[in-house]
Amino acid sequence: MKQGFNLSKIKEGVAKAVFALAACFAVLSVAAIIGYLLYAGIPAFRETGVGNFLFSTTWAPGYDGPASEKFGILPMIVGSTIATGGALLIGGTLGVAVAVFIVYFCPAKFKMPLVQTVSVLAGIPSVIYGYFGLKQIVPALAAISPNGNGTGVLAVSLVLGIMILPTVASLTKDALEAVPAAYYEGALALGLTKEQSVFKVLVPSAKSGISTALGLGIGRAVGETMAVIMVAGNTVQFPKGLFDGFMTLTGNIVMDMSYASGVHRSALVATGFVLLLFILVLNGILYAVKGKGRKERRKFRFSIKNAGDKGASKVGNALAGFYNRCADGAAEIAQKVKMTALKATDKISCATNAAVTAVLGKGTDKEGKPIYKKAGGGYIVLKVLCAVGTLIMVASVAYLIGFIVVKGTQAFIETGFVNFMFGKGGAGKNSLAPAFVSTGALIGISLAISLPIGVCAAIYLVEYAKSGSRIVKVIRLFTDTLSGIPSIVFGLFGVIVFNDALGLGYSLLSGGLTLSVMILPTVVRAVEESLLNVPLSYREASYALGAGKIHTIGKIVLPCALKGILTATVLSVGRIVSESAALLLTAGSVKNMPRGITSPGSSFAVMMYMYASEGLYMNEAYATALVLIVIVIAINAVIFAIGPKKEKKIERKKNNG
Amino acid sequence: MKEKRITDKFEVTDVAVSMKNVNLYYGAFQALKNINMDVAKGEITAFIGPSGCGKSTLLKCINRMNDLVEGCRIEGTFEIGGRNIYGAGVDLQTLRRNVGMVFQKPNPFPVSVYDNITYGPRLYGIRDKATLSAIVEDSLKRAAMWDELKDRLDKSALALSGGQQQRLCIARALSVQPQILLMDEPTSALDPISTGKIEELCAELKEKVTIIIVTHNMQQAARISDKTGFFLLGELIEYASTEKIFSNPEKEQTERYITGRFG
Repeated sequence: MKQGFNLSKIKEGVAKAVFALAACFAVLSVAAIIGYLLYAGIPAFRETGVGNFLFSTTWAPGYDGPASEKFGILPMIVGSTIATGGALLIGGTLGVAVAVFIVYFCPAKFKMPLVQTVSVLAGIPSVIYGYFGLKQIVPALAAISPNGNGTGVLAVSLVLGIMILPTVASLTKDALEAVPAAYYEGALALGLTKEQSVFKVLVPSAKSGISTALGLGIGRAVGETMAVIMVAGNTVQFPKGLFDGFMTLTGNIVMDMSYASGVHRSALVATGFVLLLFILVLNGILYAVKGKGRKERRKFRFSIKNAGDKGASKVGNALAGFYNRCADGAAEIAQKVKMTALKATDKISCATNAAVTAVLGKGTDKEGKPIYKKAGGGYIVLKVLCAVGTLIMVASVAYLIGFIVVKGTQAFIETGFVNFMFGKGGAGKNSLAPAFVSTGALIGISLAISLPIGVCAAIYLVEYAKSGSRIVKVIRLFTDTLSGIPSIVFGLFGVIVFNDALGLGYSLLSGGLTLSVMILPTVVRAVEESLLNVPLSYREASYALGAGKIHTIGKIVLPCALKGILTATVLSVGRIVSESAALLLTAGSVKNMPRGITSPGSSFAVMMYMYASEGLYMNEAYATALVLIVIVIAINAVIFAIGPKKEKKIERKKNNG
Repeated sequence: MKEKRITDKFEVTDVAVSMKNVNLYYGAFQALKNINMDVAKGEITAFIGPSGCGKSTLLKCINRMNDLVEGCRIEGTFEIGGRNIYGAGVDLQTLRRNVGMVFQKPNPFPVSVYDNITYGPRLYGIRDKATLSAIVEDSLKRAAMWDELKDRLDKSALALSGGQQQRLCIARALSVQPQILLMDEPTSALDPISTGKIEELCAELKEKVTIIIVTHNMQQAARISDKTGFFLLGELIEYASTEKIFSNPEKEQTERYITGRFG
């Protein structure tokens, strides 16, 4: 018996250590990415000088020998900034409008379809956006362009705008849904119309959430690679007008990386490092904004608690004895209720006061009495604009998908469906069969690595770490950071570590390893959420029967969280299927059938990019795009089907007196 | 259940649980103050008192569920069968096998009725199908729901009504043959008819299992318990036979509480 006891204790200890190690993986990954990029970028920084590298305007890799090499990335920094600004202007505005429409104005029956549309939009691979831009937006712009050039600032802004729209829209929607209903009621009770309440009270209350959404949109736009290089024109210059070509940081990396060597290669890595730094700073700012909101909420909660305790202890000290101790308990409760109510009404009245002044104006009559004007209908215009924004989004999605479906179907008819999908390929004949195999292998490798690590990490965060402890915060911060890093940076990391240092070269293995780091945060978060949704009472029941922690996790918690793990898997598959930039750098871009996981191979997205960029195989490109779209829609359907039904948040770590 | 019986380290004596000088703190807050009480074997003991008086906290000490609460510190001794359950070398599994628990809200696992009841026995290494089935039948019979459920053993436990779920939880707790059963307000989430059934069940069970029940419902305590302890703000104010507590309490506070003047 004694021995069994020790054995189970050892088992528990080992399990905990394994989970903790897995949880640290995100932290290690971020550290490794920063470290390796810096390390590999140092030669360029040393050769060029940091100031020169950042602020000089000539990018001239050694065409005439190393002596004439110049690496200045200012044009690219400016390019990325312009692209992001344009995207934010278009996608940010539309995204917020769509979210406001979905949350407040949308008829109930259109709500789910719209939410689904947003998530399909989020899942579409960037190569498809790029190709759509190249084939539809660029020609249309060329027609109205004064210099006959369709590529450039406007084209990039439009394409990137549509791409960041779903990020902004879905996060803004979450922020708006988190605004307490009491604010709305308070506003209505003052006689505000629905439109006035929405635009003067509710949307402003979600300000910090909306800025986070826009921030993540910026992150997505800065890091985007493949779509941008297809429509940017890619000339290293400062664009002077909407139709001037330019180069972004990401574009520069992916276009040169395949042939660069020496200092040139190091300069590309250094470019990636600059991009990474920007993203880290952005994440830091977002974290601070979010943390501030959280802290305020916490302070508020504490103040209620303290006020209650203080009141209670005063009463307790002044009057001894039984009655008073009873009164004490009652007072505490009363105090708490009162404080909560006071604070809540305070907040509402602040918000509504602002609203009233804004709507009714500050006018006073001769005697100094305020004049209450009838509220105007200006906000109806905003409502209509939100609806228009939503229509634009729906139209874009319909246009994009319709375009790909029509062109793809035609292409399949022309190339022969079976032949192209499963044909043998090789020697002048194109086939998607290698892409099936390569994509499958990439999915297999990356899931085999990141699913176990991600699940273990999530178990550690939910089941072992104290909720709200410093270690949880650190791990979560790093997991968030990891999920914000652009895929091109993962690609560079993969090249440095897996291709070069481990000597794997262009290979599916290297691509899969890179992807597994990339999808880790997706897995951790999805599984974490599903573990949190397993009621605490199941765990209690299991412990009360004498089960240990690891037994409870294995037999009760994980089976209950199976849906979440499945969701994580499907989400990861979606991410892998649509990835191209990172794979282009690590797994190569050959069209051949891979011979094993150590040989190079192209996934669907990479294959499509190759067809599209070579300019010779438009039919093949369209057909591949159609396959990708079908996969994306299927993935969305699966997630919708298994997705968590709105369950009540179960309060954790609650204890009964 | 016959072949693989775990040696009981906690053989309950006439005094099922003996608590001495118990103090419990959640961080700086003292939730229990110097509790001393003995719970007799084969009886139903009720803990009553207003919210936050410490009765549930004390109950959870008896199977060490408070170990799960962060910042919880316990002083004093809890003896079962002459051994301090907080002493060195105590196996939590063995303790909790002997001291079962039923919670406030029914918490069946989201699996079949059968799997709910066999979860405990499987944990203790019983794999034989026939033995497991026998345990299921026996436990459900003891929980007086064999007739209701014998044809629905493979149905999800979540499809049962709240009252059935709670009795299933009792059956699940009985499946590992505990000597003591802790019930933490087991009927507070149930309708009167289900409550009645569970009260009847308690009366039947007490011959073999010592029951300690926490309840908000004074009538319930008066109806089913043999002894009652009245708690207030972490202190055990009075502990005596139920009859005495409800007819002739010694302390003024007890009288005030049972006559409904506060709480």
